[in-house]
Amino acid sequence: MALLEINNLEAFYGMAQSLHGISLNIEEGSIVGIIGSNGAGKSTLMDSIMGLVNTKGSIKLEGEELTGKKSADVVKLGVGYAPERAHLFPYMSVYDNLLVGGITAKEDIDKNLSMVLDLFPNLIDRKNQETGTQSGGERQMVSVGRALMTSPRLLLVDEPTIGLSPKVCLDIARALRKLNEETGLTILITEQNVNFAMSLASHIHVFETGELRLSGPTDELRSNPELAKAYFGH
Amino acid sequence: MTQVLIQGLMLSGLYALIAVGFTLIFSVGRVLNLAYGAYLMLGAYVYYYLVQSLHMPKIAGMVLAIAVGALAGWLKYKLLVKRLNGDAVAIEISTLILAVVLQSGVVLIFNDSSKILLPIVNGITRFDGVTITHNLLTASIMSWLILGGLLYFIRYTHMGRAIQAVSMDTKGAQISGVDTEQVNQLTWMISGALGAIAGVFFASYTQLSPSMWVTPLIIAVAVVIVGGIGSIVGSLIVAHIIGFMEISVSTFIGAELRGVFTMLLIIGVLVIMPKGLFGREEL
Ligand SMILES: Nc1ncnc2c1ncn2[C@@H]1O[C@H](COP(=O)(O)OP(=O)(O)O)[C@@H](O)[C@H]1O
Ligand SMILES: [Mg+2]
Repeated sequence: MALLEINNLEAFYGMAQSLHGISLNIEEGSIVGIIGSNGAGKSTLMDSIMGLVNTKGSIKLEGEELTGKKSADVVKLGVGYAPERAHLFPYMSVYDNLLVGGITAKEDIDKNLSMVLDLFPNLIDRKNQETGTQSGGERQMVSVGRALMTSPRLLLVDEPTIGLSPKVCLDIARALRKLNEETGLTILITEQNVNFAMSLASHIHVFETGELRLSGPTDELRSNPELAKAYFGH
Repeated sequence: MTQVLIQGLMLSGLYALIAVGFTLIFSVGRVLNLAYGAYLMLGAYVYYYLVQSLHMPKIAGMVLAIAVGALAGWLKYKLLVKRLNGDAVAIEISTLILAVVLQSGVVLIFNDSSKILLPIVNGITRFDGVTITHNLLTASIMSWLILGGLLYFIRYTHMGRAIQAVSMDTKGAQISGVDTEQVNQLTWMISGALGAIAGVFFASYTQLSPSMWVTPLIIAVAVVIVGGIGSIVGSLIVAHIIGFMEISVSTFIGAELRGVFTMLLIIGVLVIMPKGLFGREEL
């Protein structure tokens, strides 16, 4: 059984439908990438998993149905989420932001805090800085860190590289790879930056206007002519 | 001068207590709870009824008044605010109507004459020619203790941080595992309880009457507008600006004008600094 099984998922904002019949599986211990341009439905997929959008169809985490649950319960079941634009608490310190992430995993707080600071050492000196005054890269690290504080089995990361310098992108890629290799954490990542996604993920799903267009192992898709044409312009 | 300092300090503590429950709801729920003054009235009348009519001990009256306030806050959230689902204007109008309905209820039960609430603590002390009633002194010390406790709770406990988190970014709080429904319920309960305590102290400082919800509401709105909500600390500062201003006005100009200056301050700040002195809406 895959860790996450999505079956025939549809998502709605009021009358507008943003996802059409999405089915995909995520195997435990893998890094899976979702690529697609603006408005393809990447964030909607992640918000659907978190119970933030009206959906039809099924989303199962190790066989347990997530649809219809509230976010706090999805978090408790083991899904951590670093959303687009981070959604941090701007007038709280880095430390307090991380502590809020620990609210459903209080017994793991010490362990998770040292894991996060180990993963992102530049946060150590900034523990008391309000996140509203931080750079985009630092905020992205706090966002991933806050998600890790929930002791997740599945980590969702939505477009972590938006607006970040190549150097910071590399730092984040390194951290995500390290997490996956050392702790076996399963990671679902969305990107418009195809190279970034392909450098991390073993499997790629391509979204277009709310539909799943293409899926496959990264190595196979890299040489897929349709994808090459759409994303690499040759 | 000593008079202004001492009276100003004590009144400001009371005003801070009045404002903080209102600030809490605005920060977390993004709505002006215009029935907030009614919690003060409710708390004061419950206390009056229990202690001065039924002759219960003062401490029991206080505890029950607080419980009724908390219950009123919770009921209002459950029955009204939640159902109106974030429609701020609808919530504000219906909370205002609720306050007026409560006022009629009070008239019906207690009639519309004003009543004296006996001091919670008797006695006076003279200091440097200034008369200090032990009642207002106790009220302001209690205010400080309660505000200190609230600040500690908000900053250093999991639940308190969750309340802050919801006030700053609801989606961020949800995906961190915060149960936003629980936070909302708790916030409305705390607000009702704070309102009820403030009401007992406020009534013992002024008097009990069916329209007594108006003045504290204006004070709370003034603190919110002048402070731009700001942090709890921001509202404490603004409560002092208003408290000292009112005492100075009534000492040096005339007691009748004290409320007028508060309202002028509201309008002045609205025109000159629409976001308030501190300019943020989170806790
Ligand atoms: N809150 C919302 N209300 C209405 N429509 C939305 C909302 N969020 C996203 N959409 C729509 O859903 C579609 C998918 O958006 P999104 O999931 O954000 O795409 P992506 O993350 O791939 O850029 C778009 O057409 C977008 O306009
Ligand atoms: Mg997106």
